[in-house]
Amino acid sequence: MSRPTLSYIQLWVNKYKPKRFDEIIGNRNAILEFRTWLEKRLKGANVKKAALLWGPPGVGKTLTVEVAAREYRLELIQMNASDVRTKDQVMRILGMASLYASLTGRRGKIILVDEVDGMSGTEDRGGLAAVIQLIDQSRFPVALTANDPWDPKFRALRDKCKLIRYDRVRTSSIVSFLKKICLAEGIMADERALKFIAERVKGDVRSAINDLQALAQGRRRLTLEDVKWLSMRDRQFNAFEVLRRIFAAKTCRTAKIALAQSTLDYEMIFQWIHENLPNQYKSPIELAEAYEALSRADVFLGRTKRTQAWTLLSYVIDLMTAGVSMAKKGPYRFTKYQFPEKLRILSQSKEIRNIRNEICSLIAQKCHISRRGASSEYLPFLKIIFENNIEMAAGIAKWLKMNEQMISYLTGDNEKTKQIVNLMKKK
Amino acid sequence: MSTNATIMLWTEKYRPQTLDEIVNQKEVIERVKQFVKTRNVPHMLFAGPPGTGKTTTALALAHELYGKYWRRNVLELNASDERGITTIRERVKDYARTMPIGDIPFKIIILDEADNMTADAQQALRRTMELYTRTCRFILIANYSSKIIEPIQSRCAIFRFQPLKDEDIAERIKYIAEKEGVELTEDGLEAILYVAEGDLRRAINTLQAAAALGVVNEKSVYRVVGRASPVEIREMMELALKGNFIKARGKLRELMITYGLSGVDIVRQMHREVFALKIPEDAKVKLADKIGEINFRMVEGADEEIQLSALLAYFSLFGSQMK
Repeated sequence: MSRPTLSYIQLWVNKYKPKRFDEIIGNRNAILEFRTWLEKRLKGANVKKAALLWGPPGVGKTLTVEVAAREYRLELIQMNASDVRTKDQVMRILGMASLYASLTGRRGKIILVDEVDGMSGTEDRGGLAAVIQLIDQSRFPVALTANDPWDPKFRALRDKCKLIRYDRVRTSSIVSFLKKICLAEGIMADERALKFIAERVKGDVRSAINDLQALAQGRRRLTLEDVKWLSMRDRQFNAFEVLRRIFAAKTCRTAKIALAQSTLDYEMIFQWIHENLPNQYKSPIELAEAYEALSRADVFLGRTKRTQAWTLLSYVIDLMTAGVSMAKKGPYRFTKYQFPEKLRILSQSKEIRNIRNEICSLIAQKCHISRRGASSEYLPFLKIIFENNIEMAAGIAKWLKMNEQMISYLTGDNEKTKQIVNLMKKK
Repeated sequence: MSTNATIMLWTEKYRPQTLDEIVNQKEVIERVKQFVKTRNVPHMLFAGPPGTGKTTTALALAHELYGKYWRRNVLELNASDERGITTIRERVKDYARTMPIGDIPFKIIILDEADNMTADAQQALRRTMELYTRTCRFILIANYSSKIIEPIQSRCAIFRFQPLKDEDIAERIKYIAEKEGVELTEDGLEAILYVAEGDLRRAINTLQAAAALGVVNEKSVYRVVGRASPVEIREMMELALKGNFIKARGKLRELMITYGLSGVDIVRQMHREVFALKIPEDAKVKLADKIGEINFRMVEGADEEIQLSALLAYFSLFGSQMK
């Protein structure tokens, strides 16, 4: 039986997600440390009731907990810390799970609170306190993940947890993992190409897999040439990544961070988002909501520039990242992003626009009208004349003192341009 | 058809050089003539729709006032093209420094599209006007007098230009067609009047472009107008309503790039076209409301392509809900 075609492309990070501990690459010691803690905790030994897995993104923190649930046959209760705003929410979501035995007949549960550093200062104070309360009361092991748990406000939380540090994954390990994926996908990949990808991500395995998918999906071969253009168009490549992070974000905070951590100009990212909205969002409601957010961001950008009140910029950022990201009604869908048409046109047709502006200036001088007026009131008619009547065109061209480039812009035809230029010379 | 050497844009070729030649606007012309007779001119504000003779009247006035020296005594500025009020002030200052040539003791500054200036810029303009009143007279030209601030209005003699009547435009078009040896049919003339909507400049441009195709009849006029005022705007809206957002956005870009249409032009045309769409009446109202909101955002200074894309996305959503 043939496989059903997927309506969307599956993310390789999910498709090739390790199922056993020995499949996870890198951070052997951290994983061992976690397993030792977990086994003791499950036996009821006197250890910390929670483990805090911390380190850079994409190195396997959440993955460790997911694999642990599978290997130890535990039911995984997963939540994202940024979803937890109040004590009530924490207790409602986790309270039930931690107080009563599992209904599915498994041995036990493990509770995972992801991105715990996503809880911010005052407004989440209740949430943070609730997480601590949860750790204290839970019958089941609690695992938390964080990129940076060293903010003073997490001190009380840190005291409750066994801290397990995750490091960046070595390039060579990433390369061999990428090789496995290529093998499974039937892609002949040049090792140098994979190394190139792996070196760029600075230990972030998830990014490496995503990059590989963006570059190699649908290909039979992947050569160094295929990936090398990235170094030439580094900025563009970074934009792919920023875009993916913004669209994939589950919380406002992660969407905003995606932009904040990028070195790219926010106005450039703005164009990238604009270009790719209809690629990312296929349903009209998502698209309209996302565009409304982008439109509002743009309104704030206009106000910011006009008033020079740069504090307003934060609203632009909110709406263009979080606003756009939260428009999605389902999970993130892998999308092939495109280079913004506007940036392409701006660079390609700069010359053409210059020519048009010059024509408008000539008309403006002769016809007592603004350049803008020339563009809307005269240019369309001139085009018709130049395309259809070389006699009249030659006369007008001479009168306006047009050059060959301008004539060629109006005729859009080399042969006619030549004829007009010749007619002008005759007189 | 006339010889190569005399071919130019007919709007210029047939722009009246004297006040007497100006079509219609009798009251305005009578009063302006009095100024010429007394050889004194106040600051003036010419207000009225496009293509009704405001600039022509200003130029003809200068012509009659200064005779052969007219070019050297007239400075033409366009508020839309100058980079802000500072540039305008500088240019006025430079120009006002030198004495007029001939026996009229002042020069004329024509400031076109003055209603495109912000209120602040107009305040600055008012001071400039006062500063150089001795040596310069201003003729401000605007589509809407209400967009000119009160203090300027009160310093100007205001002239309101009426939309031209069809018979006046017809007369002028027939005159030009005859002079140029263009074959103009009755239905061709009617089509020109229909699309010109009282704007003589548009009527003449339409005539010339249609003449470039041959006989000016209904068919050639609509061919010209169809090309010049993009019917694609309705196509774009229909694509969006059908849910084909990407194509609709492509169309939008095409309109902005190949036709050089501004976002405001497009949103206004969308507004006009929305009522002609084949959708329920209450839907038209809702879409018009949204178009207005987007128009407002653009007027506020937002990016045109982003705003119009958002509008098309709304159309797509609206279309999907109508089904």
